[in-house]
Amino acid sequence: MKKVRFLLALVVAFSLWGIAISNAFAFEEDKSIVYKFWKKILPFDERLELGGFVKNETSVHLAGGLDEFMKMNNIIGLKTNYKITDWLEFFTYYRWFWDAVYTIEDRRYQNISFEDVNRKLRMPEKTQWLRECYFDIYTDRLDIRAGKQQVVWGTADGVRILDMVNPLDYREWTLKEYVETRIPLWMINIEGELLMDGHLQLLLIPDYQPNYYAPAGAPFTLRTVDIGAQAIDRLNQIPMFTVQTIDEKPGKQFKNTKIGLRWQNVIGGWDYTLNYLHTYDFASSAYTLMTLPAPGGQFTLRRRSEQIDVFGSSFSKTLTEGFLAEILKGWTLRGEFAYIRGGAMNYGYDESIIGTVDVDQYNYCLGFDRNFWTNWLFSYQFIQFIAHNKEDIPLAANQPRYTLLFGPTRGPLDKLTTMMTLKIATDFMHDRLKPEILLIYGFDNDWRISPKVNFEINDRWAVAGGLHVFGGDEQGLNGQFDKNDQLFVETTYSW
Amino acid sequence: MKKWLICLAVLFLAGICLTVQAKELEFHQVYKIKRGMSLDEIMKITEHVQYTLFAFDYQSTGNVLFIDKSGGTRTRKFLRQRIVLGSNSLSPEYKYKDLVIFTQPTSVKGLGILTWTYSDPGRGQDQWLWLPSLKKVRKISAAQVDDSFMGSDFTVEEITARTFDDETFRLLGEEKFKGYPSEIDNKTYYKGRDCYKIECRPKRDPWYYSKRITWVDKEFGSTICDEVYDPKGRLYKTILKRYKLMKVDGKDYYPQIFLEVKDLRTGHKTGIVMEDIKFDQGLKEAYFSERTLRRSKW
Repeated sequence: MKKVRFLLALVVAFSLWGIAISNAFAFEEDKSIVYKFWKKILPFDERLELGGFVKNETSVHLAGGLDEFMKMNNIIGLKTNYKITDWLEFFTYYRWFWDAVYTIEDRRYQNISFEDVNRKLRMPEKTQWLRECYFDIYTDRLDIRAGKQQVVWGTADGVRILDMVNPLDYREWTLKEYVETRIPLWMINIEGELLMDGHLQLLLIPDYQPNYYAPAGAPFTLRTVDIGAQAIDRLNQIPMFTVQTIDEKPGKQFKNTKIGLRWQNVIGGWDYTLNYLHTYDFASSAYTLMTLPAPGGQFTLRRRSEQIDVFGSSFSKTLTEGFLAEILKGWTLRGEFAYIRGGAMNYGYDESIIGTVDVDQYNYCLGFDRNFWTNWLFSYQFIQFIAHNKEDIPLAANQPRYTLLFGPTRGPLDKLTTMMTLKIATDFMHDRLKPEILLIYGFDNDWRISPKVNFEINDRWAVAGGLHVFGGDEQGLNGQFDKNDQLFVETTYSW
Repeated sequence: MKKWLICLAVLFLAGICLTVQAKELEFHQVYKIKRGMSLDEIMKITEHVQYTLFAFDYQSTGNVLFIDKSGGTRTRKFLRQRIVLGSNSLSPEYKYKDLVIFTQPTSVKGLGILTWTYSDPGRGQDQWLWLPSLKKVRKISAAQVDDSFMGSDFTVEEITARTFDDETFRLLGEEKFKGYPSEIDNKTYYKGRDCYKIECRPKRDPWYYSKRITWVDKEFGSTICDEVYDPKGRLYKTILKRYKLMKVDGKDYYPQIFLEVKDLRTGHKTGIVMEDIKFDQGLKEAYFSERTLRRSKW
């Protein structure tokens, strides 16, 4: 433990030194008094790069008459990169936030029952502020990135098919870009060049974090979390019983190391990858066990994570020649497929889990992108998720027929789920004004519409505003937030 | 007998056509305009100069200035690297591979664009984009070359995609250039320089411009000024291109060091300053791959 603290202190001290020196570098161009001051007192070193931002994200609840805040998040981000030698670099990214809505908004969120989880919503917990921290080693044929990082696989936007290396933080559902919500993991990431354009990537990931879900009472609590919290409340009210929740983490043995392999190549303008990932199912809800106690004892709710294997592939190609170009010239086609083996899902009926069955999943996404009228981007995706239970679901006695249950909502899950997304984006005023709209539609009439406008005031200041409008059944992916339509504004100052 | 005569005539005519067609320029060679060169040969030399096809590789940093009518300025800084391939290289199917990575301001820092341009003029470019906001490489459609280049007054075609095969040419005369008054540094450039005045018309019709009048420096074969006309034939944009003579291994390299464009309709201007230009450093082809884009941290 002491060693870990010492290492952490070392990383922090090294990074602070980096920040101090690179502050001086950042001021170089301004030639301000501050710059001259720093240059005089600090050992100036141009091998350090610095970048950072201060951002405010505010959103209001449309159904609440615009005076009910859903978010008042204030974020400070700082990135430093120190070039130790031509082939060795050290990078850190710190991100600290304070969501003031949990302090000042006392109508909606006062009933978040667990103080520890509530705190996690308000500001970073433990070392969560250290988003990324790694060494880069570059050689002609091999790149090694060792440390806390996120790795992105696949070509799909806003949908996780192959992008399974890092867990996700779902506190705001999937409204933010995944780059902001992926939970970075400590890992070694090695990428070697075997052919001119053929690269093999190996990931060794000893670290484990589960997905993070907002606790009951938060603006974007998943329906399944709400149902679980209500059940625990009910159990707690039974005299002489208490409820204990245990989240089991995989042990720190080598056998629990997650492994990823990706082969990537370009042939005839076709980019393709072959992927394999041995990992944990970051959504541990499927493996929840309830132990019934003797009177006076404790209910024990034990959540654990199971290992899964992901086999997949992706491709992308801009059609400029060949027979396909005759009908789709100028389109960029992309797609990815994943077969997930070893997973499990709950079965039962709406809101109620009866048991768990092993399930194989076959998921894919096809994307079509093209610019029209010079700079109007149309990006369309067709996505299907197929769940195949490997064992029969028992027949229900005196109940509605049991079905597989959808993890995020605990509603009935069709074995085939289909959805589509369409993004339209353009720009005006020399790239300063960028409107866009994202439409997500599921075949079960579940949908979201998110229009947004970004405006770059100058090199440092930018503002954005938009809406998230949800629709559908409460058992659906977006429909569960049907009453959560929001208007948001973001202001960013970067340096 | 008649058939033989017709065949011979066809072969003879084809031979004449092949002889008249401009000779393909070899990469990694410096060419200068000589007396008696055809118009096509002159225009091929301008393309050779624009994309530094005379060199093995190229690197520079750049500073883009966006200046609006009221004088408000935004900036972008970038690092640009290019490897010239072609028939003399191990990858003859590629003309060149090009990498641009933005370094400032923080809002676009890390944005990278990798472009592969093929030797076959009928084959479109392949382009990949590293989006820091998504942390992934995206294949993008390079077909919209009439789009603005990174929000500037240049089009993508003017900076990265226009080739000899995209236009037809007509020599308007030989004259001393009248001089281009830069509105960015308020100096006049190239006044009195001996030039060819050439009209270039796009083969695509309709297209975002109907023609451009270009002035080609007789000494170095570089385009120093363009006047661009809209589809209705009205002048709407002027472009200045400045160069610097560099001695590299005893050869005269003539890279662009400054580009200025003014949109006469909006009054908006864009300036691109190239600095720290380096040639023939031994960049490797494998460097121009998605792996390099993925190295980006920002």
